[in-house]
Amino acid sequence: MALVTPETKLCDVIIDEPSVIPVINRFDIALGVGDKSVKSICTAKGIDLTFFLTIVNAYINESFLPDYPFKTFGAKGVIDYLRKTNNSYLRNQLPNIERHFRALIGHSDANNNLPLLLQLYQEVKAEIERRIEADNTWFDKIIELEKKAGQAHISIDPAASNNEADSIEDKLNDLKSMFVIHLRGDYDHNLCHAVLFAIISFEKDLRQNNRIRNRILFPLAAAIEDNTK
Amino acid sequence: MQQVNIKIIMRDTALAVGLRHLLHNLFDIEAERIDEGQLAETDTAATDLFIADSRSFASCIGFFIPRRTKLILLTDGESAGDGSIQTLNRFADEQTFVARLTQIVEAVREKAEDGNELSQREIDVLCLVASGMTNKEIADKLCISINTVLSHRKNITSKLGIRSASGLSVYAMMNGYISPTV
Repeated sequence: MALVTPETKLCDVIIDEPSVIPVINRFDIALGVGDKSVKSICTAKGIDLTFFLTIVNAYINESFLPDYPFKTFGAKGVIDYLRKTNNSYLRNQLPNIERHFRALIGHSDANNNLPLLLQLYQEVKAEIERRIEADNTWFDKIIELEKKAGQAHISIDPAASNNEADSIEDKLNDLKSMFVIHLRGDYDHNLCHAVLFAIISFEKDLRQNNRIRNRILFPLAAAIEDNTK
Repeated sequence: MQQVNIKIIMRDTALAVGLRHLLHNLFDIEAERIDEGQLAETDTAATDLFIADSRSFASCIGFFIPRRTKLILLTDGESAGDGSIQTLNRFADEQTFVARLTQIVEAVREKAEDGNELSQREIDVLCLVASGMTNKEIADKLCISINTVLSHRKNITSKLGIRSASGLSVYAMMNGYISPTV
């Protein structure tokens, strides 16, 4: 979809790109947004408009390049957002998928493939949990450095983006392929569709948040680190 | 109709001839009967299915186990290999026997029409990736270059839509190429 601007109505963004619902939720914006513009909702909620637009556009548009440097927000804002994301993974998305997965296996007696797919899912889940734990240390370090740097001008190099392939994204994509291309035998169709939809929407959310992490937080953290050397 | 390549390996001539005629009359398939000694020279990648009786299977187990996804074992009614080997019960009544054979032939035809089937070499590489070997270790084990390993891996990924070693490992277990760890 087109870039979200201060004048765009938030309801249009949600209707065109429903995957943005967890994002606005992380900004404590609940559904029932009326027909107000992004700007008026951010003002009413005390949300930094530039920050909101940067996060939402990076989330929705694969080719979005943030407007460096960020004058009104720092690493702490991005980190707060990513911490909320991590918490929602740990508390909601990851356990929900596993619960549905176990129900699917419970209702698909004769299928030997599903426990193997659950095994792959649990491996991905464990890897996400390890990354979140490492994030906590990394985030604390960046916030500490940002405090030290104070109001000093920092120069951000967009090339400092992290472009490494993400093994978590790869494994979630594989899990999706396993269901779509390779699943054999009998299974409960309703539960299977529920698990697959949950995996697809989680994979998309993770991929989009990786973009925020790699294109916004990585260069910002690198600039802060350089500045405090 | 896609032509499929079926090899019959059994010492009982009456059984082998009967099966060959059944495949010809019912499905227009020209199956070839070969003896156990010819298995080593068989182009396994070009063979869609091996049908063996339990005696030939037992004496060539080292050949059949890694190729069990392409094997139909003619049995007296028992299951085989923890259910990972497909069987054909030679004592089933005629209607059940023909129905099972039809099911087997249809599955083989479906596979043969699917251009995404892995070659035997790709299956070898897949099993080694699934066992946790690095590309270098796989190259050494199969006496091929790392570039050839990479090229096999690229083909496997493009045929299966699976990129990670963990995903390939689960795929290998789902298809009986390696034993499940759960």
